[in-house]
Amino acid sequence: MAIKFKSLSYIYDEGMPYAHKALDDINLELVEGKVTAIIGETGSGKSTLVEHLNALLLPSSGSLEILDREIVAREKNKGLKALRKEVGLVFQFSEYQLFEETILKDVAFGPKNYGISEEEANDKARKALKLVGIDEKMFDVSPFDISGGQKRRIAIAGILALEPSVLVLDEPTAGLDPKGAQEMIEIFITLNRKQGKTIIIVSHDNEMVYNYAENTVLMEKGRIAYCGPTLELFNNDELVRKYHLLEPQLVSFKRMLKEEGFKVPAEIRTIGELAKYMGKEVRKR
Amino acid sequence: MNNLVFGKYIPIKSPIHDLDPRAKIAALFVMIAAVFIPKSWYCYALLGVIILGIVLLSHIKITMILKALKPTMFMMAFLLIINCLTVKTGTVLLSYKSFVIYSDAVLNTLFIVVRLLLMIMLTTILTATTKPLDLTLGIESLLSPLKVIHFPYHEIAMMISIALRFIPTIIEETMRIMNSQKSRGVDFEEGKLREKINAILSLIIPLFTVAFQRAFELADAMEARGYVPDQERTKYHTLKFRFKDFLFLLFAHILLALMILSRFYL
Ligand SMILES: Nc1ncnc2c1ncn2[C@@H]1O[C@H](COP(=O)(O)OP(=O)(O)OP(=O)(O)O)[C@@H](O)[C@H]1O
Ligand SMILES: [Mg+2]
Repeated sequence: MAIKFKSLSYIYDEGMPYAHKALDDINLELVEGKVTAIIGETGSGKSTLVEHLNALLLPSSGSLEILDREIVAREKNKGLKALRKEVGLVFQFSEYQLFEETILKDVAFGPKNYGISEEEANDKARKALKLVGIDEKMFDVSPFDISGGQKRRIAIAGILALEPSVLVLDEPTAGLDPKGAQEMIEIFITLNRKQGKTIIIVSHDNEMVYNYAENTVLMEKGRIAYCGPTLELFNNDELVRKYHLLEPQLVSFKRMLKEEGFKVPAEIRTIGELAKYMGKEVRKR
Repeated sequence: MNNLVFGKYIPIKSPIHDLDPRAKIAALFVMIAAVFIPKSWYCYALLGVIILGIVLLSHIKITMILKALKPTMFMMAFLLIINCLTVKTGTVLLSYKSFVIYSDAVLNTLFIVVRLLLMIMLTTILTATTKPLDLTLGIESLLSPLKVIHFPYHEIAMMISIALRFIPTIIEETMRIMNSQKSRGVDFEEGKLREKINAILSLIIPLFTVAFQRAFELADAMEARGYVPDQERTKYHTLKFRFKDFLFLLFAHILLALMILSRFYL
């Protein structure tokens, strides 16, 4: 199964003089069970695209197939709540959604909306909070008395507690410190590897995308410019230049090594893998 | 929430957009007065044609005006019912057992409805063709004679302009929080009363926090740039009252005069 966008367009303020076509005839297939990155300049429609995945935005025309549902423009769409449990969406600036008196209650709010018991919801909340690295001591603190980065983690936990099978993250690490951002990404990657969850992540951080995402979707002015394996995009100088992408440091590094005569395999994507390979090569010489 | 048309500025060019906001505000008040004076249907036909003419001149789509009118339908239906139950004069239009509808009830309601329609059209013209900032500049300028009685007209205008400026922001913020909570399984449309209350709470509390946060940030930013409330200020953006503004205002007054005269001669 895959997530399929079929000639999907989305227009903000349709029918108004200032209507704006944010998505223009999108045809796209996202593979389930993989990590997919969505990149593109600011305003290219990334957020608009991912907000369709859990039907917060409904297409102006075209349709979207996700899990076992089809969402068609201009049709009555019922039971979206059930879809939103399976497709968890963490917003850009998600820290504004917090409202309960304690962190634990806030994270348990989501699961409780799906009619499970208080204890069960709290259990799920504890698990999710531990996963995002919030200490048990903090569970009874008010979510308004903590730092922005911690708020972000709690907002993410609020979605993780729903245990969705597709996890969509809109710039989850913007505003986090580098170490915190790295930790966050690793949590998502682990969820993908251990539980097979589909991860779709909007990001401006090409380093992270290169390191972790199997597939990449590149958006440009509301259209899909590229969709396919991440390595094929960034390892291709022509595409990198054509779309003015910021080249990941690892790619530049690999190129320099190639110029020095090392035959670095294309599938090396992290600095760790590269170090291991270079160690072997240097010893050989 | 996105369909909120009433009070929204439409950024296009038109002769009406081009008028001085003071002329528009003053003319609006004069014309609203004109709308509430006459008792004859001829006058309303004339007013209707003129106001529709202004709408056309302002290049606003009629459908937009209709959308602005939609929320008032409920009120109008309510008015009709009340009138039907209370007004007992005129000829009998309809009778069913002890329930009788008199012609005056319908006529009265029609009068009120037409007046309301025209008034809403006028205010929509004003807000759709005047930038919020110009609107407050206009209000400030119109209130400025009150400084002789130490009326804080500048502060009032500043408050209005800040409030207006933040309406779209707050709407956007509301949409965003609503979407976040929907993603956590909140259902704003369906559900039992208890769930509804919970849904509203999950929206209101973050909204208040954000609003206060915004307010404090703005206050800090203004102070950091040396804003002192009761200081005399110069303006970057000044209003110019031109001949066409005078004509527009004159036209509104003539209309008012006509309507007053109609009470005596029609
Ligand atoms: N609520 C809205 N109303 C009207 N236009 C909007 C709205 N939200 C976004 N847009 C417009 O749609 C386009 C795409 O916006 P979107 O938020 O999807 O971009 P993005 O790729 O997520 O950008 P960023 O990287 O800055 O988050 C932009 O041109 C934007 O101005
Ligand atoms: Mg975005």
